[in-house]
Parts: sequence; C-alpha cells; structure tokens
Amino acid sequence: MTAPPIRAAFDLVDHHGRAVTERTYRGSWLLVQFGFTSCRVVCPRALAKLSAALDAFDPPDGLVVPLYVTVDPERDTPGVLRAYLAAGHPRFTGLTGPPERIEAAKEAFLVFARRRPDPDDPDGYAVPHTAITYLVDPDGRPAHHWPDPRSADEITADLRRLTR
Amino acid sequence: MTSTTTAAQGVGLLDREQLGHLRHWDELSRRQPNDWSLMQGKGTGQDDFGGYRFQLAYMVYGLALTHRHRLPAAPGLFRATIQRLIDKLLLPEVWLYWRDVSRGGSVFNAHLADRLHEEWDPVVRDNIMYSAYVQSCALLHDHLFADDRYAVPGSLTFRHWSFFWGGGEKRFPYDRDSLTEHLYWQMVRNGYIGIACEPNCVFQICNQPAILGFRMHDLVTGGSRADDVVAGYERAWADFGRLDAAGHYNMMLSEDSRAVRANEAPSPWVDAWCGALMNTWNREFVHEHYPSQVAAFLVPGPDGTCSVRSAPARQVMGQPVVTDTCDTGWVAAWASEMGDRATLDALLAHADRFMAPTWRDGALYYPRNDTPTDADGHRTDIEPMTGNVLLGYARLNVPDGLWGLYNRPWTAEHHAEPALVEVDRDVEVSRAEVVDGVLHARLRRETAVPGDGTVTIGRVPDGARLLVGGADVPLDGERVVVRVPDGPTVDVALLP
Repeated sequence: MTAPPIRAAFDLVDHHGRAVTERTYRGSWLLVQFGFTSCRVVCPRALAKLSAALDAFDPPDGLVVPLYVTVDPERDTPGVLRAYLAAGHPRFTGLTGPPERIEAAKEAFLVFARRRPDPDDPDGYAVPHTAITYLVDPDGRPAHHWPDPRSADEITADLRRLTR
Repeated sequence: MTSTTTAAQGVGLLDREQLGHLRHWDELSRRQPNDWSLMQGKGTGQDDFGGYRFQLAYMVYGLALTHRHRLPAAPGLFRATIQRLIDKLLLPEVWLYWRDVSRGGSVFNAHLADRLHEEWDPVVRDNIMYSAYVQSCALLHDHLFADDRYAVPGSLTFRHWSFFWGGGEKRFPYDRDSLTEHLYWQMVRNGYIGIACEPNCVFQICNQPAILGFRMHDLVTGGSRADDVVAGYERAWADFGRLDAAGHYNMMLSEDSRAVRANEAPSPWVDAWCGALMNTWNREFVHEHYPSQVAAFLVPGPDGTCSVRSAPARQVMGQPVVTDTCDTGWVAAWASEMGDRATLDALLAHADRFMAPTWRDGALYYPRNDTPTDADGHRTDIEPMTGNVLLGYARLNVPDGLWGLYNRPWTAEHHAEPALVEVDRDVEVSRAEVVDGVLHARLRRETAVPGDGTVTIGRVPDGARLLVGGADVPLDGERVVVRVPDGPTVDVALLP
C-alpha cells in the first residue's frame, strides 16, 4: 500500500490549550484519527480499537503520539476533549481549534465530515465523518493509513513493522 | 483431476446468436480510429447514457463474462479484442465531452458555475462515469489474462492535440495502479458516498464499476480496497437509503446539499443498471428486490414476448431531455444477472421479432431505430447501446455472472492450464474448457471474414496427445498451431 496522498499539516490547540502544529511532534510517529466526542458509534469503536492496538504494541514513551482531531470544534473545546479522552482513551491527545483551521486540517488529511441534523443528539446534530486512521512518520511524511474495517491486530502488526 | 475451469461445464456450447454477438463486438473493435458507425446514438457530444464509453466498456464486460463463464480456455479469443476496445476507450472522441461537462451548467449544478472550470484531464476529478470504466476494464484485462499490461506507467494515457485549435498537446498519463489510487482517494475525500459523474451528481450506478475495479485491483496486486470501499459506501448510504420510498433504487445524490433524487418516474434503466452491477457485492439484497422492481417495467406481448415500458421523456427547463435510455438492454442485462430466464427469453424474443435483428458477415446486432412502436403498438425503439451491446451481453451472461467474476476469481492454477492462447479473426470458438485435465474446443472457420484460420494452443504439457476431428496431430513443444479446416465445426481435444 502506497503512502496516503495527504498533507499531514495542522495548526490547532491541544486539549491542554497549547498551540500545536505538525512540527510540534517531529521525532515521533503520529497516529491521527478525526472524529467528535458526541459521536455515538464510529468514534467510540475506532478509539477503543486504536487503544487496544497501542496497548498490544506498547511503544516506548514518545515513539508514537496518538492524536484525536475534532471535526466538531463548536462543541469539542479543549476541556471537553480532555475530559472525554481521559475517561476512556487516555493515550490520545485531543486537538481542536477555530472552525477555519479545522477545515484546513480536514482538507490536508482528505477527511470528509459534514454536519447534519440528528434528532437523537441532545444538540440536534451529528457530524458524520471519514473514519480513516493515518500514520505520519517522525519527519512529518504520511506513512500509512488504516480504513475503518482494519482490526486492532492488523494495526498492531503494521505499527510494529513500520516503526521499527 | 479437477479443473479450475469447470465453471464452464453445464453452460453448453455457444449458440448461433451468442457467436454472432461476439463476432459483432470483434468487428466493432477493429474499426478504424474514429469510425463509430452503428454506434451513434441520439445524444449530442457523448454526454448521455448511450455514449461510446458505455458501449465500449460493456463490450469489455460482456467479453469478460463470456471468457470467465463460458469459454474459460480461450484467452486468445478475447485478449486482443479487449485491448482494442480499451484503446478506443482512450480516444479523445470518447472523453473530450469532459472538457465541457466539467464546467457544469446542468440544473443540478448551475449554482456551482462560478466554482467550476474547464478540465481537460478526464479522470482527475468527478467523471466516474468514464474513469471507473477505464479502471475496471484495464483491471479485468490484467486479472483475466494474468498480465501486467496496464501496470506499465503511461499505459492508460489520455492525450489530445489538434493542428487547428487548443494550443499544445494535452497529455495525462495513468496506469491501472495510479488510476485506482486516484479513484480510491477521491472516494475517501467524499466520505465514500461515491465520486460524482457530472459535477455534484453522485450516481449509485456509476460507482459500482469502480468497486468492481477495486476488487480486480485487489486480486491482481493484493490489498482490500474493495472491502474498504464497500464498507464505507454502505455506511455513507445508510443515511439516505439505497432504495426510494417506492422500492426503486435511489438514482443520485447531490454532493453539496446531500439531497437524494429518487427513481421518480420510475425509469427502468435506473433499477436495472444499478441492480445488475450491485449484484457483484450485494447479491442477497439485489435478488430480494428484483421481482417487485422489474414487474413495474414489463409489458407482456404476443406469443410469450415481453417488452420494456420506458418512462416518458422528461421536460427540464422547457426542453425535452434527449437521451438513449437503453431501457430494453438494461432490463435484459439485469434479468440475465438475476438468472430470470423467463423474462430474458421473452425480452430477446421481442427483440428478435420487432427490433430487426441484422446479420452481417457472421455478426449479429439490432440497428438503431428511433421509431417508438410499430403500427400495432409493439416497441421498436432501440438504441445502439442496446442493439450493439446489451442484448448480446444478456445472451452471453450467466446467472450471477458479475457476482462470479467478483467473488470466484481465477487462481494461478487456471492460468497454468492448456488454452487457446491465440485465435485468428476467422475462427469461431463455441467451446473452450478444461475438464478433468482435458482441453476441449469446438472450432469453425468463418469464411466471411479474413484470417489465416488457425488457433494456437499454449501451455501444452509434456507427453500430451492432440486430437483434431478425431485424428492425431503431432506435438513438439509447449505451443502448437492448429489449422481449422473449412466446413463444419471440428472438435479439438488435448489430452494430458
């Protein structure tokens, strides 16, 4: 599988409120997942799978930085992201920012996400999104991607092979 | 010994009409560049459903189905024809419409006119109604013939230059891998809902060939793009539904507004085309809905014949929409894929009685006729896509034929078996299969067309014995050229 044709670029804030770009994490592999904390099915499943893959891989500190980039910046403030990830997916760092910067990050990573009405959501909307996971190498180059159907075992095996 | 080609067993010899369709496709593939005679439809500028791209691509699909299911041991009958058809698919006359259509202006994308611009590269954005056919036809070729012809960089190049206008050469080189990669990432970018045909118009139908192409690419190169795309497609369309409120396939979705357009009329081609293709990966669903869907379109006729009722031509912006619906052909193709023999036979009987079947030098086609009905009200209207391609496709397909191509691929074992690896233009092949290790072929020399009257059997095992018309023919090496005698059919057997 060839490297994904994305620009792994963003200019956002992390869930501690610190300004970050892709350069902030140079020297580490980035595992990047887009989503939103109110997502009821896709994100919980993806984050649980990726957490399991990382648990099995058990990388040394700093080798892999898992990032969860919101596509719903209006609701996903740094505090909301921090609480959500701490409760269930503590390996991940959440990223958010102004809508135009989220749009730029989506464009760079070829992520589709669009708000639509959702009567089952307390705020009345959801943001269906692409559930692809990207791997970016320590020099900031796109290295790999996993579509949603990939299993935790496959991702663990790929991480072992690619980050060697 | 069990053969990998046993799929051919039980489907019998090709009959006269099936052989006539194959001959017609071969003849169309041999036309001089830009000789499109017999292929011109009602539409202007190749922008409708009867365009050359569809005729060329579905001849390739029909040949692929015939090779896979009926004549598996005759790659030499199909390979060069498919290559010639793909060569034609790459001609600018086939894709140059995109330079204009890319600018938008239809009722569905008029509001986007400021954003759209003239685009020469016919596969770089949208236009899945062309790009997916180039991709899937190239990959069907490489899968069926265990070949890497279209892996060569630039093997799928779109180029145009005119002495009279347009400046320098326009040249867009792709190959099976780069094109597949490009289409896949367009799918990702669109959230797997599909890639648009005309700007902003995502048709369910036109994304099915890309899925077939992804599957063939997975078979040729490894990977699971097809499964990934299907999973994403299923999830994306779950919000809209594959079917409309009346149980017909939703036709399209506007990319920007996410508004779904149902099969309102309903139009037979929408259900038939979508159902036939979607059967590749979604067989139970397609079969489940077929009976009620098709019943809405069939008109019983005399003596067991049956025709297809088209929807009235639409009026849009005060204009009648002029297009080749190809309703008859698509319903026949759909019935063949569903294994609905009764409906297929009735449709073919109607065509044979009311649509002027025409034989020329061993080739069979049904010429275009724009007259809606005869004096007694029997449908006579037929488009080149139906008369050249789809009725033949339906005759040559087998039940779940596309499903079989997708789900029961050939393995390396098949490609190691003896086969007719070259077939001259004037040789008719009505049987070619390996059964229990024995290659069986039935051949006839067609004197109405030029040729040397030979076939070449390749991959001949050591110690094999060749019988032509019951007589022993000496063998020397792993290839042998067999001269087909004039006269009636002759049976050939290669025994291990």
